[in-house]
Amino acid sequence: MQPTASTDRRPRPRTGPLAGVRVADFCWMGVGAVATRMLADFGADVIKIEDRTRLDMPRRLPLYKDDPRTYGDEDPNPDPDKGGLFNNYSRNKLGVTINMRTSRGRELADQLIAASSVVTENFAPGVMERWGLTYERLQELSPEVVYARMSGYGHTGPHVGYRSYGPVIQAVSGMTFVSGLPDREPSGWGLSHMDNQAAYYNSAALLMAILHRGVTGKGTEIDVSAVEVGINLLGPILMDVAVNDRPTRRPGFPTGNRLENPLAAPHGVYPCSEPDRWVAVAVFNDDDWARLVGALGNPSWADDPRFGTQAARHALQDELDKHLSDWTRTRTPHEVMHLLQGAGVAAAAVQDAEDLAETDPQIAHRGTFFEMDHPVIGPARFEGSPVLFSDMQQDNWRSAPLLGEDNHHVFTEVLGLSDDEVAELAAEGII
Amino acid sequence: MSLTTPYTGLRVVELAEDPAGEYTGKLLADLGADVVKVEPPEGAASRGVGPFAEGQTGPEASLAFRAYNSTKKSVVLSDSEQDREQLRQLVLDADVLLTTGRSGDATARGLDFAQLRELSPRLVVLAVTPFGQDGPWAHYRSSDLIGLAAGGPLLSCGYDDHEIPPIRPGGDQGYLTAASFAHTGLLLALLERSRTGRGQLVDVSMHDSLAVSGELANPFWFYPRVKVQRQTARHAQPSPTQPALFRSADDRFLYFALILADQKPWQALVDWMDSAGLAADLVDPAFSDLAHRQRNFSHVQELVEVFFLVHDAEFLYHEGQRRGLPIGITNAPEDLFGDEHLQARGFFTPVEQPDGSTALQPGSPYRFSTFTPPGPTAAPRLGQHTAQVLAGAGHAEVGT
Repeated sequence: MQPTASTDRRPRPRTGPLAGVRVADFCWMGVGAVATRMLADFGADVIKIEDRTRLDMPRRLPLYKDDPRTYGDEDPNPDPDKGGLFNNYSRNKLGVTINMRTSRGRELADQLIAASSVVTENFAPGVMERWGLTYERLQELSPEVVYARMSGYGHTGPHVGYRSYGPVIQAVSGMTFVSGLPDREPSGWGLSHMDNQAAYYNSAALLMAILHRGVTGKGTEIDVSAVEVGINLLGPILMDVAVNDRPTRRPGFPTGNRLENPLAAPHGVYPCSEPDRWVAVAVFNDDDWARLVGALGNPSWADDPRFGTQAARHALQDELDKHLSDWTRTRTPHEVMHLLQGAGVAAAAVQDAEDLAETDPQIAHRGTFFEMDHPVIGPARFEGSPVLFSDMQQDNWRSAPLLGEDNHHVFTEVLGLSDDEVAELAAEGII
Repeated sequence: MSLTTPYTGLRVVELAEDPAGEYTGKLLADLGADVVKVEPPEGAASRGVGPFAEGQTGPEASLAFRAYNSTKKSVVLSDSEQDREQLRQLVLDADVLLTTGRSGDATARGLDFAQLRELSPRLVVLAVTPFGQDGPWAHYRSSDLIGLAAGGPLLSCGYDDHEIPPIRPGGDQGYLTAASFAHTGLLLALLERSRTGRGQLVDVSMHDSLAVSGELANPFWFYPRVKVQRQTARHAQPSPTQPALFRSADDRFLYFALILADQKPWQALVDWMDSAGLAADLVDPAFSDLAHRQRNFSHVQELVEVFFLVHDAEFLYHEGQRRGLPIGITNAPEDLFGDEHLQARGFFTPVEQPDGSTALQPGSPYRFSTFTPPGPTAAPRLGQHTAQVLAGAGHAEVGT
């Protein structure tokens, strides 16, 4: 992990497949910020448009160095430049502030859109329209614009106004119901996984639209509904319902960590020597089983002829799990992982964030986490690209913008305003 | 509305053995790419993975295969010298080679990435692997569970009771997270190719895809250096929060995170409970003070639990949302087909099944005003397109 040497925060020409693409980015919260982050990482000039009086949630969430707080226990008067989540989401972006409740502010936004070829937003439906920013108007301002609208439910249909965020999307799309131990409440998700996935799908939609415009010259409006992404991710579970008319609301479903398709056993998460540390093991066939038994030192219980076939072992998982737990319980997760992987059995420590950031040699080898300096936060670590390219790389030029950090640059260099005009806008509270 | 999509004319050869690769190929095919799935004579491994269509056996019965291989073409090639050469020719004629498995597995099939790229400079090799092309864990085996465990998200999922291990979310969500990065990684490489004329190797690691998808877990470590603890069906946090799943009268669950700090939703909730005569002392002016609400959180929680317990889930979802509260009903998959919103959007798509029947499959998660994704259409029968595709091999111009 190499810290970026430069402390020069002035915008510079970007490199990468999106260099030269300017994005007027109205996104806020999680989904939108993560979606446009990929564009910023690979060369686009993503200009994040913020409102000083309505701070973006990641600026307010209490992820501060040396000040652990739980989400929901925010500082009532946060320093908007101190938030770690904002830094993680908005690195490599430019930041401007515009007061959209003023007509001069809206004019400024129109100018910025006219100077951009991509516009992004993830507000509640109606907000962009209230500012007069319909797709038709955006096309007038920037012919063949790509306009990405990211929402929970999409921009048509009776529930268009429903409020949502990750956990609501997970519940409504079925992703929560299918997750848990049988015959009790779902365990669901301990994160806004659908904020991640909706963001990744929106990144893909934006890249497709830019690719398409490159070939055909045509812009497009994009409508991605997070609920519809989530339903797609149900995969074979939903096909079983659709084709076999077989409800999932049935005894024994869902199956927790056990796997029926394909028939795997043992297949689970097993306790290790320290409290609440675990290791995952997945055995899919007779060869896997033979390797597992060998790695365990050929214990006598494994000779039991009742464990002779994969189907039999699947039926006797309670017993298998007990034997395997007895063995894992005296070892650390990584000890088990390396011992079993060394024997050719799929196994992994259930890693926590410290494992990933500090000791995981694979992540270190790929340089997935990287470091950049920030004027308020100091050196900080970032989640980089899980994809490596032979002929290009992520262009990390700066940590996240301070609130309004690039007002002067964007309004003078991009929009052509004079220094005096920018000073006046600031004095009048427009920016 | 145009029939030309960003992927029209894009030729993809898919050698995928796991859902990460197969789902990537599905995304491309449903969006208009010409995806040729190359299978061994006995069929891809996923044809043997359940669930299966009831009463059906054989290579077309797998619903896992149908879900992850819609809109593709199937070409059967054996391991013979002649078929290996056919495969090489298909790849050289293609824009994209999509592979899965550990690094080196493709080499075993006679495909040397470096050599292929040299012969076909526009080729993008999209290699989706468990841990990446190289590195100390590159040869390790994986699965959906193993990927989610090593990558971190698993530790955030489970129950309040930590005697119960972390619980893997349902489906193939680890694999499908890698598929998302494979898709965007390919798009970045195609955009770069449109500028330089050259393809490249795109090295997608499922492990890294999941390691950057833990949402708050990594930032909580990067900044305050604290770890999050899993809680039932709600965000893992540094310290415990109130339950967010509420049971309804009809024995379903709703997700509702009671956030006391915001006055407007608090008032909306109290008004709603009061309209049913169930607000009890929450209407007391003392509760308009945040500090008072926080001191009495357990009491508030109990009253909300009672309110949910005496109403049906559908009512709570729609009436709550009408009142501006972000309440989510935990739909079972079978509930989705009757959802009025999804019906109004025409989301589900009838897709022909191998026995001639039709079944509803999820429609495209992408909507564009200027073009329509053509898929999903039926997954191919084993070898359905072998003759057709091989007849055209070796003649096409490379790339578009």
